[in-house]
Amino acid sequence: MIRKMLDFKLSGPLSPNVISTLIVVFVLGLIAVIVGIKVGKLDHRKTPRGFVFVCVMIVDVFNRFISDHLPGKRTKVFGPYLFTILIFLAFANTISLFGLKPPLSNLSVALTFSAITIVMIKFAEVKYQGVWKKLVSLLGPVKPLAPIMLPINLIGEVSTPLTMGMRLFGNLMSGMVISVMVYTALHWAVGIFAGIFVHAFFDIFFGLIQAFVFFMLSTVNLSMASDV
Amino acid sequence: MFESIFTSVLRFATEYNEHFSSGMAYLGAGIAMIAGFGPGIGQGFASGKAAEAVGRQPEAQGKILVTTLVTQAVAETTGLYALLIAIMLLGK
Repeated sequence: MIRKMLDFKLSGPLSPNVISTLIVVFVLGLIAVIVGIKVGKLDHRKTPRGFVFVCVMIVDVFNRFISDHLPGKRTKVFGPYLFTILIFLAFANTISLFGLKPPLSNLSVALTFSAITIVMIKFAEVKYQGVWKKLVSLLGPVKPLAPIMLPINLIGEVSTPLTMGMRLFGNLMSGMVISVMVYTALHWAVGIFAGIFVHAFFDIFFGLIQAFVFFMLSTVNLSMASDV
Repeated sequence: MFESIFTSVLRFATEYNEHFSSGMAYLGAGIAMIAGFGPGIGQGFASGKAAEAVGRQPEAQGKILVTTLVTQAVAETTGLYALLIAIMLLGK
């Protein structure tokens, strides 16, 4: 396994999951740039209309939603990151409707999200609690029990982000495996009609719920980490 | 003559071991998915409590729905670990 890791080349062929990730990133970046230019040109005395109005509304609703968990200045600090995560996952999990492989059904893409989460949580802890307070809190509230609590707390520090990435991977991959099983088991004429239900359930419903759950767990973890 | 019997027995044993190990891996994958009991009970318990809460306070339905979905997704994690182990065993 280690030899396989060392064989990694940047110029090698990309896996289909990474290609669909790049497609999602490109499309979302394009939309974001267009919306940004349009919002910059807005006249502040008039009500915005059409597509720009929808975007402004979404951001407003989002900010009000997370300000329950991250009040005050923390909304400004963590809001953009959380919104990016939510939008990216919502698009990435439903992209298999367009015939691409869902990006999160690859373990490396899912574990990337674990890495992003662990960096953000550590950043919040260092910024709002300080290094010394965080290290003391690892020992637990009761000092004589510190040798028992320290390993448990250290495992907990790593397992929270790892679990979040694994959850995304497991859900998306199980959905993909079940869709493939349904398509291979059925004749194509029946498979077309079965595909309606399969995709509605595993791609739209589960995909959006998983995106929301990941966003919600990140919000709760960040609010716990940045709580003074 | 004795040697040829010995080599054929040896070949049979290696083939048998190969099939035996892959069959045991499939069996293990099936046994690993017994873990599906736990998340099923947990999610059902959470959704039952959520239904009770909506019945008691219908005006808080939105917040209860959000909390239920998040807690159910957390309860699902152990089942997903079992699924990952089962798939790792199938790939053997």
